[in-house]
Amino acid sequence: MNLKIYSPKDFPAYLPKLNLLYEDLFHGGKGFRSKLVQMMSLPISLPLDTQHLLCQTIEFIHNASLLHDDLIDNSQLRRGKPAAWAKYTPEYAVLAGDYLLARVMVNLAGFGNIKLVQFTSETISDLLEGEWLQDSIVGDFFIGLDQLDRVHNLKTASLFKWCLRAPFIAQENYDDQLHRTLDEMGTILGQLFQRSDDLLDYDIRNDEGKTILGDLKSGYLNSFGAFVSKNMNRAQIDQMVKSHNLDEFKKCFSSDPILGDKLFKAKVEEFDQINIKMIELYEHHLVQLDNQLKMPDLIKSLRPLTEVLYWRRKPKS
Amino acid sequence: MSEYITLKKNDPLFEKYIWGVCDKIGFTALPVTSLNIESPEEIATFEIVKTESIEKPSVFTIYLRLIKLKRFVLILVPYFYVAVKNDVDNRFFDPLSFWFSLLAMIFLFAGFNIRNDVNDFISGYDRVNINHNKPILKGWISAKRAAMVSSAFIFLAFIFSLPIMIRQAEEMRVLAVVGVLLLLGQLLSKNSYKNKRWGEIIFFILIGPGVVSGFQVALGSGIDTEVLAFGILWAWAIQFLVHLNNFGNLLTSAQAQIKNTMTRYGFDGAKKVISYWWCGFIILWVIYHYHYASVFWSWFTTIILVFWSLPTFIKVSQIQSPLGSDTRLIKKIGYKNFMLMVGLVILEFSWYFLTKNSWTL
Repeated sequence: MNLKIYSPKDFPAYLPKLNLLYEDLFHGGKGFRSKLVQMMSLPISLPLDTQHLLCQTIEFIHNASLLHDDLIDNSQLRRGKPAAWAKYTPEYAVLAGDYLLARVMVNLAGFGNIKLVQFTSETISDLLEGEWLQDSIVGDFFIGLDQLDRVHNLKTASLFKWCLRAPFIAQENYDDQLHRTLDEMGTILGQLFQRSDDLLDYDIRNDEGKTILGDLKSGYLNSFGAFVSKNMNRAQIDQMVKSHNLDEFKKCFSSDPILGDKLFKAKVEEFDQINIKMIELYEHHLVQLDNQLKMPDLIKSLRPLTEVLYWRRKPKS
Repeated sequence: MSEYITLKKNDPLFEKYIWGVCDKIGFTALPVTSLNIESPEEIATFEIVKTESIEKPSVFTIYLRLIKLKRFVLILVPYFYVAVKNDVDNRFFDPLSFWFSLLAMIFLFAGFNIRNDVNDFISGYDRVNINHNKPILKGWISAKRAAMVSSAFIFLAFIFSLPIMIRQAEEMRVLAVVGVLLLLGQLLSKNSYKNKRWGEIIFFILIGPGVVSGFQVALGSGIDTEVLAFGILWAWAIQFLVHLNNFGNLLTSAQAQIKNTMTRYGFDGAKKVISYWWCGFIILWVIYHYHYASVFWSWFTTIILVFWSLPTFIKVSQIQSPLGSDTRLIKKIGYKNFMLMVGLVILEFSWYFLTKNSWTL
């Protein structure tokens, strides 16, 4: 089912550039989060207009964060096109992001479920806390993976948790145990997605052609960077920071390119192993969810998410 | 593939698993995630692993890690101070009791260090502020066994304190005060003495004035203002380390709604508290030396302390994030500051001991 997330009719016609900016912004996104909302909504027979509201909500929040993120990170491109702040001025980008968040609250308040409003507000708070913290660690090349996980839990995983839980809240199912399980699952999916995204920076499973070492060059040591640099000495970290390309990066393992490449690959494997443990934990929560909901179709559709999000491949089944 | 189990606090298995008693023989339950700690809604997911698959160091290393050998400086320096002070003052009345007090204190301190880890683990503090080096969290030893070892050590401490109480009856009064404070701490501090404001104050009294008074009373010299002044100075320095540690865990503690001075003041306020706290220590150092030490040692040690402290003040003012490597670095720098102060105390009091010069050069 294809839900239209953005429609100019939802926004004031009298605001200059606003609709142009949104048309650019919403065009080309994968809409993964709204698909996840739909995946959760269908088995519980959530009314179509509620599904639409939820999908719109999550995409508005996500895109508001992108508008602000690009400006904060000084990113010139978004989805292959000039970022909104670069095309329409930073002021418009900030206002457009704020406006999307305001529309989220207006739409949800109109729906009338106060718990959903509260949960959504908490999610936005978490997202912003994550953004704030992430900005405070730019330039820190000695940060640990566990510390980055805390940022990603706020910044990335909060939206995944929302996608899994919001349909049940909209249906007024507030079962504590269910929401805890979904919360844990959302956390894991968010972490896996973030870690996989961070691997793209090192050209691992990078089928979408993401810029290599983009994070590192902008002074941000991502989760894989933090993992490989854990036991490095000062000289190795200096080499890592100075790297302009992957070959130079591999020199921080060894000056011999073949050995450097081998050690790099070993690190990727080690990183995959710790994430496989996380996937196993996700499977455990799926079993729990199955016991709580007795909805085999939902479980079946949730099971391959780790394949998509971490391994970046189509599900086997 | 690993096996996991998620349990709510009211599940009887939760209690067993958290204390390290796994119902499957040859397996250990290690907590991997914990939610809603310190509440009846607490929920934890455990990974069930084969006990033999847990890589453990030698038993000796486990116990050294468990008793926290590095921290013994916190009781050995006050012991050294009391010994030198009373030797120089010719008030070394009861050496035997004094030796027993050292033995009792070593076992008591080791027992409390282990108990602290057990409490932090059971309450969930260590499970949210994951400290990968703690033996209980790594599954090297179960919380139950650690609690038993702790109780055994505390019992041994009691045994070693009996001769002191017979020989120096006043020690019973000190122990009564300590006992009341410990009891109060148990009632007030859910997670540990370090993590509630009243808990912090009780910890302050116990680790400083409590320890030095205990040693001096065991020696038969009673309590005087000088020993209490040193106790306060010492406790102030230790509390500085506690603040630094809590500052490093500020984000996770605040998220888990753990209350301590650092979470109360927030990131920017906590930075100021740390700097002011160490400034306060230097002022107390000067006051103590003005009253009880020679002019030379007052100037010499204070100048070194002030200059050595400058990088700490600068680094604290520069820290930008409650996350990241800077919090670890500040802990390191702060600890170095503390150890320098310890070095100065040892140097100064060794000098007094060696010269027996009645506190003047």
